[in-house]
Amino acid sequence: MNTNRPRYCLAILIVLMAAVAFLMESQVNDYLLAIVCFAGINIILAVSLNLTNGFTGLFSLGHPAFMAIGGYTTALLTFSIEKKPLFLPDLPQWMVSLHLPFLPALLVGGCFAALVALIIGVSVLRLKGHYLAVATMGFLIIIQVLLNNADSITRGPLGLNGLENFTNLYWVAAWVIVTIYTCWKIKFSSLGRSLLAIREDEMAASSLGINPFYVRSFALIVGAFFAGIAGGLWAHLITAVTPSSFSLIMSFGIVVMVVVGGTGSITGSILAAVFFTLIIECFKPLEESFGIYGIGEIVTSLVLISILIFKPSGIFGTNEPDFVLGKHKP
Amino acid sequence: MKKCLLVITMVLMSISLVTPCFSAEPIKIGALYSLTGGMSSIDTPSLRGAQLAVKIINKNGGLLGGRMIELISVDAKTDQKASAIGAKKLLSKGVIAGIGHSDPSFVLPSAPLFQKKGIPFVTSGATLPTLPKMIGDCMFMVPFGDDDQSFAIADYSFKSLGVKNFVVWTDNSMDFTKTLSRFYKQRAKELGMNLVLEDFFMMGDKDFSAQIARLKNASPKPDAVFISSIPNEAGLTTKQIRENGLTLPIVSGDGFDTELIVSVPGKELANDVYFSTHTYRADPRPEVVQFVNDYKEEYGVDPENAFAPLGYDAIGLIADAIKRAGSAEPKALKESLAKTMGFKAVTGEISYTRPSGVPVKGVSIISVKKGIYNVEEIWFPNTK
Repeated sequence: MNTNRPRYCLAILIVLMAAVAFLMESQVNDYLLAIVCFAGINIILAVSLNLTNGFTGLFSLGHPAFMAIGGYTTALLTFSIEKKPLFLPDLPQWMVSLHLPFLPALLVGGCFAALVALIIGVSVLRLKGHYLAVATMGFLIIIQVLLNNADSITRGPLGLNGLENFTNLYWVAAWVIVTIYTCWKIKFSSLGRSLLAIREDEMAASSLGINPFYVRSFALIVGAFFAGIAGGLWAHLITAVTPSSFSLIMSFGIVVMVVVGGTGSITGSILAAVFFTLIIECFKPLEESFGIYGIGEIVTSLVLISILIFKPSGIFGTNEPDFVLGKHKP
Repeated sequence: MKKCLLVITMVLMSISLVTPCFSAEPIKIGALYSLTGGMSSIDTPSLRGAQLAVKIINKNGGLLGGRMIELISVDAKTDQKASAIGAKKLLSKGVIAGIGHSDPSFVLPSAPLFQKKGIPFVTSGATLPTLPKMIGDCMFMVPFGDDDQSFAIADYSFKSLGVKNFVVWTDNSMDFTKTLSRFYKQRAKELGMNLVLEDFFMMGDKDFSAQIARLKNASPKPDAVFISSIPNEAGLTTKQIRENGLTLPIVSGDGFDTELIVSVPGKELANDVYFSTHTYRADPRPEVVQFVNDYKEEYGVDPENAFAPLGYDAIGLIADAIKRAGSAEPKALKESLAKTMGFKAVTGEISYTRPSGVPVKGVSIISVKKGIYNVEEIWFPNTK
């Protein structure tokens, strides 16, 4: 980077988030805290999906599947040993004795999701465009059916409940910072430029010596890791996970955030994630006073349609806004 | 920039539209129902039943010497995240009790939040019998448990239909249907009935010819088939089984309590179907007749399904507990609810006498013969 502006922005962001987290945790009621936590989780999801969809052009609809893997893994690992026989009587013995605190459990969840992404990637990443989208959607459905039927490990359709409410604003803020920093560093490195090159013209990129398969796998794996982390945070915020929590609808929700924010712009995804989380909540008082439910979702759709008509590349396109980059663009 | 202004204006507009409530210390009860999404056909009548109950109570002077009940309703959108956020929102508004949900997968994210704050949560429609154990002493159920309704229909199959050999079809995609089958098989085994064949399908399946072919070839010849499904598949399976010339009785739980089992196969084919459900349909008890009349007067239609009286009963249960406790404090209310004995709800008498926390309620066995619904008998758990 030529300027120090992005570093200052990050520092300001960290300080701001720490202050907000401290104030909110001590003052504000649970409801507002939950909203802000969900906004944070959506930021992690949007930024990580941006890495896969936006930078590299892999239209992946499988993000919720990685969330599900991360969420269930984290949940199973943080489940206390006394509770396990009560909820999951048929669990294999080696799993019953596994118990980790929150952070290691999150990391294991994320790594497991990344591992599955690596395995899936070998077959799925040969496809391009719409075929890749459908294949990842198929993967999502496979994961849902698997979770639904592996009764002994996941308790089937009823899912796991009674999870500890570990997720608080500090955890979410910390992971948001980590995700933004990692994705920023990737974007403005030679690896990031390879990702963008693959997106623009794969033939030209491979003729310059970039191995498309390795690069695309990398994008999928890192995206899956953060999705797994987000899934673990999500599970411990709601304290319950079921196979249907991570659905195709959620997948489209995240894609909408990436598209509206700008495919390839980290700032764009952050703003879009916050915007879409808040807009649903802001319209709730309106819905309740008049009894017309569903207004928030309609507004979301209208925003998406207007963006697609007037600015198809998203609010910020592939670039970061000038004030974050500093006056001199590289 | 313009977009920011637009959002800010809309936010201010919507906030200003929230109508404040000034009155003599209203009693706030929260209602968490899925008014949009897949559960809306079940939850919307529940909310309407609850709103009707609140209206009637307020019309008759409210509770505790003139305090009006204020029902704050939040849409759970058939989504667990929205249920959890909705629960937090209601709790932040200072409700003294919560009602809602007709499916355990939405009770599980919301009720623990109520439990943590010591606020009672009364589910109007979730029938999982282990809910009170899983969540805690603030969890109360209005409906009977799935174990009771399966036992009821199993007893009826054995005693009244004389079934010895039976086949079970289970919807494998939902916990509710799997639980129903599990309890039916358990009671059938205790009674000495013989499970000939077990078959599966998924929610959303449209064609059951494979299962019907296996049913036809089942040996020894089954006397009845237990189909554990929810309304859509109820209509389709009944139609296809009867169209294939099989006349054996079809039995089920409250998933079959729907107009679809007559409208989809048609009146002629809707024959010899028996299901257990919440007692209210064609029931001559005075509270049932009163409820049906009030509902029709308020909304212009008959109650759509059994969930309307269940929602009505949830409010009735809380109001009754408040009257007995003489206070609307959550702790006193919780203890009063736990002591509920013989409360005459529209869907049956509710008493919490069992350690599992599931109410002891009557289960109606309803038969459908040539499209006509008839209450065959009312089954009670404590006779077993």
